[in-house]
Amino acid sequence: MTVRLFKSVIMILLFSLSTLVSASDEVISVNADDETEVDIRIFKADGNQLLVGFACDQGSSISEEKTAEALAKDGIEVWMPDMLSAYMLPKVRSSLSDIPTNGLLNILEKAKKTNKKVYMIASGPDTELILRVAVEWEKAHSDSPLSGVILMFPRLNKQKPEPGKPPEYQDAVGKTRVPIMLLEGERTPNRWGIGHLTNALKKNGSTVYAKLIPDVRGYFFKRKDPNAPENLVTSQMSGLIKASLFFLGRAHK
Amino acid sequence: MKHLFLYLIAAMFVFTNSLMAAELKKTDGEIAAPMLKLENLKGEAVDLNDFRGKVVLVQFWATYCTPCRVEMPSMNELTKKLEEAKIPFKILAVNMGESKQEVQKFVDEVKPEFTILMDTKGENVQAWNVFAAPSNFVIGTKGKVRYTLFGGVEWDSEDIISTIKALAKETNKKES
Repeated sequence: MTVRLFKSVIMILLFSLSTLVSASDEVISVNADDETEVDIRIFKADGNQLLVGFACDQGSSISEEKTAEALAKDGIEVWMPDMLSAYMLPKVRSSLSDIPTNGLLNILEKAKKTNKKVYMIASGPDTELILRVAVEWEKAHSDSPLSGVILMFPRLNKQKPEPGKPPEYQDAVGKTRVPIMLLEGERTPNRWGIGHLTNALKKNGSTVYAKLIPDVRGYFFKRKDPNAPENLVTSQMSGLIKASLFFLGRAHK
Repeated sequence: MKHLFLYLIAAMFVFTNSLMAAELKKTDGEIAAPMLKLENLKGEAVDLNDFRGKVVLVQFWATYCTPCRVEMPSMNELTKKLEEAKIPFKILAVNMGESKQEVQKFVDEVKPEFTILMDTKGENVQAWNVFAAPSNFVIGTKGKVRYTLFGGVEWDSEDIISTIKALAKETNKKES
């Protein structure tokens, strides 16, 4: 009985360990400011591109983890800082505006020290966060620009849409020169605002690429009721991101 | 599991809140409605101008828009109640860039009893400055945009019915 129990415990431990090892290479802590340490889950890779993704929970959702692993296999290093836990913020949308920019700048500085090309990626309302950080980065590091940002299904309106009136955007929109890739689902009303948002994002000189992903809804990779095209695109998310990085690379030529 | 439960609770709150909070927003009454000439699901041309003298609710919607689906039964009720009150009223629900097949499937399921128009290329969506769904425009009897509303709402509420009745009875003063 005791031996059987021991074997079971060993099996569970081995299984847990193998899951951890395959999920990511390491978790490091970075001082975001004097009082805050941020845990960053790192999916290591040998290539010269590094993608910082500001997902909650260090990207613990299955599709984000699989995507990060696939990217790392293809040579793109992925860093996932857990900002909400670091600042003890609840995991709700409104918390994003409470994340101080300084903490993220320190993480980018650490990323830059790898000598890789540094990109940021975020989805939905989190896109405001990375634009805000990009603006502050340029102010402080004009000699060392970021290589680009990917905005997936950006939700950057300042307030609720008003029929008949063009949207007003968050303050960080149109303030950076960083190359931007904007991805939007074809089956979302926001697709009709892509042209307007693209023009707003270009205002300070950013090169902006905008692509519609056919047959998918917004946040398709987080949906509980994905349809066949959404499942397909989710499984190929790393390819979508690699294509985005390719376009962003062209912006520098 | 706990996270999923909290997420569902939050989603339900946000969704319910969005249905409850939306209300008609009055315009200054001087904005002429843009042109709207599209085909219905039978392929017949429908022109907004043909409904002068009626209050018209122009709604931009999509099959994947959850509030659009939820509020459509209340739009059926609104039409019935205004018909009973002999108020000249029409709903033109403009689908935003989807295929006829997708829309027909939705119509068979949800059963809207008002006119569905097909803006397959999204040209009217842009002309009307629509960036989200559902986007609603209440057009007065002389073709001016009198109210707008974004988001889902119970269209057969007393407040909305009173507003539309008042609009239908207005003299030409405000819209001349």
